Amino acid sequence: MPQLKRVQDTLYERLSNRSLMIVLTVVPVLLLLTFVLILPIIWAVRASLFEISLFQQDWTWVGVQNYAQTLTDSAFQASLWRSMIFAVGSVAIQLVVGTGIALVIAREFPFNKGVRAVALLPYLIPTALLGYVGVWMFNTNWGIINSILIQLGIIEYGLEWFGNPDTAMLLLMITTAWKYAIFVTILVLARLQSIPDGYYDAARIAGASKWERFRDITLPNLKGVIFIVVLLRGVWMFNTYDIISVMTNGGPGSATTTAAIYAYEVAFENYQLGRSAAVSVVLFVILVVAALIYFRVLEPQSEVRTE
Amino acid sequence: MSNRETDLKPLSDDFKSDTPIWKRLSYAQQRKLKTGGLYGLIGLIVVTILFPLYWMFTTSLRPRNEVLTRTPTLIPTELTLANYERLLFFSNFPQYLENTLIVMIGVVVITTTLATLGGYGLTRFDIPFQDTFAKGILFGYMFPAILLAIPMYILWSQLGIINSYLGLMLAETALALPFSLWVMWKFFQTVPPSLEESAQVAGASRFRTMVDVALPIAKPGIVSVAIYSFAVSWNEYTLPKILMPQSFVITTGIQAFTEQNTVMWNQIMGATFLASLPAFLFVYAFQKYLLSGFDPGDIG
Repeated sequence: MPQLKRVQDTLYERLSNRSLMIVLTVVPVLLLLTFVLILPIIWAVRASLFEISLFQQDWTWVGVQNYAQTLTDSAFQASLWRSMIFAVGSVAIQLVVGTGIALVIAREFPFNKGVRAVALLPYLIPTALLGYVGVWMFNTNWGIINSILIQLGIIEYGLEWFGNPDTAMLLLMITTAWKYAIFVTILVLARLQSIPDGYYDAARIAGASKWERFRDITLPNLKGVIFIVVLLRGVWMFNTYDIISVMTNGGPGSATTTAAIYAYEVAFENYQLGRSAAVSVVLFVILVVAALIYFRVLEPQSEVRTE
Repeated sequence: MSNRETDLKPLSDDFKSDTPIWKRLSYAQQRKLKTGGLYGLIGLIVVTILFPLYWMFTTSLRPRNEVLTRTPTLIPTELTLANYERLLFFSNFPQYLENTLIVMIGVVVITTTLATLGGYGLTRFDIPFQDTFAKGILFGYMFPAILLAIPMYILWSQLGIINSYLGLMLAETALALPFSLWVMWKFFQTVPPSLEESAQVAGASRFRTMVDVALPIAKPGIVSVAIYSFAVSWNEYTLPKILMPQSFVITTGIQAFTEQNTVMWNQIMGATFLASLPAFLFVYAFQKYLLSGFDPGDIG
């Protein structure tokens, strides 16, 4: 055993060289990130300049034709618009509900811990599976929502929630907000707790009303966090594929065909891989714009010491 | 018409005054209303969150005639475990579960290992271009799955790792790694280098200080990163759907239950419940770690 220890010591000694340790610690993660994040984007740019058959035997050079086709396709423009509507609607609900829950939970009341634990539950259900729960609850014939509405006398027959373009879109927003509102809550709660009590005390002494205290202390302090939420959640909702694929798959008609669903259809229903790569590149450009705004406004990179 | 006003009883002083209704209540009444309102709000939140979960769970315990009915009862009149029996013994669910587990373990191991080492290296060695790395990592965190899925489909096909565990593991690592690396980078900055320095003075080699001093202290961070990457992999639908179209994980496999003649909603809800359970258990079991090592308020 002492011999093994000596071998380990020598090995550790050898590995202690500074450049070797950099190679062991930083290089693997950077290589992998390059392989899984940068290379696919380069590949998308490359593939977008070719026409690629389904089985990818031959790539035919077509130049910017895929981009020309995509950008002039009215279905693509409409899908971008729907992504926007879905993102704005869903994020707005998440923001209002999430902040509301945070303001309630921040107060003291019995079972506060229990309520916090319950509030976390929706975030833990896999998104696609949540989609099935939504489809089931809003089922036209057997869904509990229709049954409750009929019993309350609000409607006479079960509504076809997913057959109507407006309710289908609305349900997607509500279901996603049901899951992601807690994301907002967690961020807002952390920010709320970092506001010194002294601010409120000072305002109270100065005679500020409850509403004034909220408007002049709470809201300004939440500005940053609200910006993060709108930007990050906005980007993710804009590109949502999973739950839309499960709940409506773009329907009825193309009422909920967002850009992500459109990209999938181009690739795997029309088998135009080159063109779907062009769609991905366009989405990537939109993401870059969002990221530039993020870095410019919040400078999140300054949170690590990077001299 | 004109004498209508005189027909009315004279208004009491209370109602004539401009004081809003709220101010007219006594302090005790105000307080009662406030607490009542707060509890009402809390109740509404809790019910809105719990009802869909309750409905999912009870649907999975109902026999078929209680599911395919236009007048479902809120409380099931007949409970059965038949749906779970079907799922576990007479369907492909165990196969989906196995695939999900294999991919998840791969993602957790790769992500946790590389994020921990990388976070350590980025903090302790004076590496150039740190600002660029930081921006790059945060940018990577923003990547949505669909944006990576299609380019990966093309690239993975050429590399021959489409429809493989390895391909899917690597793909999901792309989603989990940036934020994990960010968390570990920030975490190691809170570990004072003086501990390692004094170990070095005592004769320990540089590598040993990392293994025996820094990594044990980083345990809370490592655990939270492991849970985060577990959750990312467990939740993922887009990447497995596109990169593993011929065999399924749970999220993509449930589609098969909807393609039968009658959709077996009780089985689908059972599968949903089983798939959500590990996430519930994990997160609550490790909440202590999550709170100490991982402050979600740090995002961004």
